[in-house]
Amino acid sequence: MIALRSTLAGRITLTVCSTLILLFLALPIVLIVVTSFGEDAFGSFPPDAWTLDWYTALFADGSKWPAALSLSALVASLTTAFSLILGMTAATALVRSELPLRSAVYGLVLAPLVIPQVVVALGLFLLFEPAAMLGSPLAIALGHTVLASPIAVMILMATLKGIDERLEDAAASMGASRLTVARRITFPLAMPGLAAAAVFSFITSFDEFFISQFLSSVATVTLPVQVFNVLQFDVDPTVTAISAILIGVAVVALALIGVVRRLSGTGKQDGLLPVDTAAGLPAGSETS
Amino acid sequence: MAGSLLAPAPPAPDPAAPGGRLRRLRRALSERRTRFGLLNATPVVVYLLVLFVYPIFGTLLLSLKAEDGGWTLHWYADALRGANLDILLTTLRISAETSLLSLVIGFLLAAAVSRLKPLWAGLVMIIVIVPHFISALVRTYGWIILLGEHGVINDALTGLSVPGAPFQLLYNEIGVVIGTTSVMLPYTVLLLYAVMRGIDRRLPAAAAGMGAGRLTIFRRVYLPLVAPGLVNAGILCFILCLGYYLTPALMGGPKQTMVASLITEQVMRQNQWNGAAALGIILLLLTFAGLLLLRLVKSARDAARNRGVS
Repeated sequence: MIALRSTLAGRITLTVCSTLILLFLALPIVLIVVTSFGEDAFGSFPPDAWTLDWYTALFADGSKWPAALSLSALVASLTTAFSLILGMTAATALVRSELPLRSAVYGLVLAPLVIPQVVVALGLFLLFEPAAMLGSPLAIALGHTVLASPIAVMILMATLKGIDERLEDAAASMGASRLTVARRITFPLAMPGLAAAAVFSFITSFDEFFISQFLSSVATVTLPVQVFNVLQFDVDPTVTAISAILIGVAVVALALIGVVRRLSGTGKQDGLLPVDTAAGLPAGSETS
Repeated sequence: MAGSLLAPAPPAPDPAAPGGRLRRLRRALSERRTRFGLLNATPVVVYLLVLFVYPIFGTLLLSLKAEDGGWTLHWYADALRGANLDILLTTLRISAETSLLSLVIGFLLAAAVSRLKPLWAGLVMIIVIVPHFISALVRTYGWIILLGEHGVINDALTGLSVPGAPFQLLYNEIGVVIGTTSVMLPYTVLLLYAVMRGIDRRLPAAAAGMGAGRLTIFRRVYLPLVAPGLVNAGILCFILCLGYYLTPALMGGPKQTMVASLITEQVMRQNQWNGAAALGIILLLLTFAGLLLLRLVKSARDAARNRGVS
């Protein structure tokens, strides 16, 4: 291939710059993980001595973290269920049927990704406050689903587009009912996409802060809200450990998706990482 | 509301020529597909109308309601006056600074990655993407530890005996811009990388073959090719910053209060819902303005391209 050869100086500059930028992205995360095992929670880096005390302190008696952790897990599970149902049906409608006002529906589905979250959170607060639903895990999950479902829809749309429609037609022509086709053909083929959509919905909810803050009460505080409160008022070293756990959850989730992609041989299938499409969203003409 | 959006398309005008059996069959099939589509689209549309569109609509109404029940614009007048106006301008300033910084850094990284072999490019993109899925709250906390007075950065600078070290890097605008940029960076890198990967590498080579210098090639060939991506990434980043709360709230001082913090303050502490609603609608309008700009830029580009072809 004919391409412009880059000069040595140019190459060195670019390499140094990009190494610094990658450090810029990775350093805060690495630092938290390392510091969480250090004896002196906010002291020197790297730590002088290592300990697991902060992790054991998380689950000591009287700690606020276990309650926050289980509430976040509950909310994230509910969100995942809601967003998978919405995602499956919406993706089927958008990819596998002739939908009137298709671009309007598509725009509506993607809109929550670009609308400022504070506006969404405020609106939900005004909706749930009169209903006395503030602090209810269900309300928080319903709110998170607004943010999680667009991601699920996009992943599942990409998945459905990657499944050869003729396979479904062939099954139908041999007498399979629509339900059988969905259960025996589409569902197994869409499995990797479903897994990815579930994982992303879960971490979207698990990490979500803003809507939770507006919808939580004193009694129900999700994990990110608890972390924020601690950071704002009384920093205690256990927050480093819980942050490291949050990092671990995200990394394990992404690794899981990688494994599913590899096992199912859909490595080439686009859209399993929603950022590809999420980032390109306003570039499409179908928004707003 | 759901009904109007989901109303079936108006029936096609009856064809003058008698349709063959095939056409009727096709139409029946297509109607079946349409019904199937409507059935499947209903859950998500109803859900978002109830829990997304309706709440925003409620916010709009609240922002226009006076205390005596009539209509008023005075919540907007309040929002655009005095300290509140300052906060709005601060938000625009910090968003602009952050977008600019993310664009420059993102450009450098994307340019570097687009030159790498696929294996290396994949590895680098993992370092870009993984942080994107780690809670912004946690990453902000990481920056707070890093940038503190006795944090790693200041320790290193003092160790190198840089004059003036340790610097004040937290609870001021430097901290906010650094933290917010690191949250926005994955977006710009991904957008720019997608554009740069699509560039025909033979074009710069051709320009060089015709005697253009490196600077000229960059300015006249490469930059125009990347420009659409830069505009997209810049505007998107700006929009995302406008309503951003976490990092400015944790890493900023009193002078870095953003609109989202003000809204939270008004709702949680002052019970000032109307004022908060007006601020929210202003943010929403700014976002729409950004999206509209994106679309105008795109259609202008398309028009220019069509003129070029014909």
